[in-house]
Amino acid sequence: MSLTEGSAIDMLRLEAQVHSAVSSVDDPEYPGISIVDLGLLETIHVEPDGSTVIGLIPTFSGCPALAIIADDVIAAVQEVADVSTCTVDWLSSPAWHADRISHEARSCLERKFTVAVQIGQRSTTCPLCASKTVEQSMFGPSRCRSVHTCTGCGETVEVLRG
Amino acid sequence: MSRSWSSIDDFEAFLNNGGIVESDDSMPDEYRLAVFRFIELHANSEQMGGLTERDWIPRTPGLRHKMAVIAKTQDEFGHAHLLYMVAADMRIKTRREMVEDLYAGKSRFHNVFHYRAKTWGHQVAIAFLVDAAALASQQAVFKNCSYGPYRRILKRIISEEGFHMRLGEDRMMRIAQGTEMQREMFQQAIDDWWWPALQLFGPDSKPNDMLLRWHIKSERNEVLRDRWVQKFVPMLQSYGFTIPDPGLRFDDDEDRWVAGPIDWAPLKKTFANVGPDSARRISEASAHWEESAWVRQALAANKTVNELVQA
Repeated sequence: MSLTEGSAIDMLRLEAQVHSAVSSVDDPEYPGISIVDLGLLETIHVEPDGSTVIGLIPTFSGCPALAIIADDVIAAVQEVADVSTCTVDWLSSPAWHADRISHEARSCLERKFTVAVQIGQRSTTCPLCASKTVEQSMFGPSRCRSVHTCTGCGETVEVLRG
Repeated sequence: MSRSWSSIDDFEAFLNNGGIVESDDSMPDEYRLAVFRFIELHANSEQMGGLTERDWIPRTPGLRHKMAVIAKTQDEFGHAHLLYMVAADMRIKTRREMVEDLYAGKSRFHNVFHYRAKTWGHQVAIAFLVDAAALASQQAVFKNCSYGPYRRILKRIISEEGFHMRLGEDRMMRIAQGTEMQREMFQQAIDDWWWPALQLFGPDSKPNDMLLRWHIKSERNEVLRDRWVQKFVPMLQSYGFTIPDPGLRFDDDEDRWVAGPIDWAPLKKTFANVGPDSARRISEASAHWEESAWVRQALAANKTVNELVQA
């Protein structure tokens, strides 16, 4: 099927296919959690000739995973039948924020990775026992995470924060 | 809720049924000590690994690799931090005692951090060969680890180390497709790092290895080592590099690579902190610790002020 004469419905269908291709890309550090669920996807532009531009926002600008995420997105989107080319733009605005993380991804982070999500300055609870956690260090293994301990069970909890 | 066991047999039956031990359980002392030592060794190795990576931030070529090295440095220190917290919860040593023992040369860390990373080629070989060996060991622990807090931290560490592996593969592909000089540099790095990486798995596991018995490790050292050999020998050869093992051969009947005899003397030296680069590594780490004393003082003072304000 050629989209040079593409109808609005065909374009919408194609955009939906591109969206689901982007959704199939997992965060390199959280296998099983989609970058879309983490709130990285901002825009999808598809032209009638099938050229596609995906606008993503990084959790922080120096993130070393950007090149790998972009490669994975391009590979997934180019699998879509009517896509001719795909490029990824890393957008400087809006800034990523932890409230962009979907409910499903939050519960997966808690269950699978024992990682809590902190929105703004709100308090966080332990993924294991739901007691309050206390911050021990502003930074954990990456700049978007801090390290807490649970006041209930004593678990060491990583907190993803926006 | 704290649990206790009436005998070691009882405890082992619990472990054999897939039981997971938590930090507030009254676990047998021998188990507590074995798990603690294992986590402390892991934490020390992440800490020394972070210092190695940090040294390479200014020397790393190109922005793409530099960003990755900066992030990897933070990853390693972050992992060390989490692991020290989990180890400290076992109430054998405090975090400070562990760090001070490490910098005084009283504790152990993995053999690969007793060698010096001299060239970018070495850094690529480390990211490619050593990180893969470390990841394979950690995956084998995670698979069946009976100590809950460590298992949960490992879950995240493994995901992140898997990401380092991809960066290592990216670096390897670039250098392998590079100029003749780059390829020579990488061949030299393979020659220098092949054996330390292979020895990271340790000598064959003893029949009565308590780490296996108590479900801290899930696979024998020689099994993990062999799997690593089966993966990396053909991969490096396919890029036209050679393996510095004169005894290496392909067994047609068994359809697998068989490594030559392994000289364990270099590994034993690293256990005693007298490897080729041990003294320099430990004294540099110790100097960093002393130079950053003012940060710890400032943080402690800030904490005191906050407590006074709140009181």
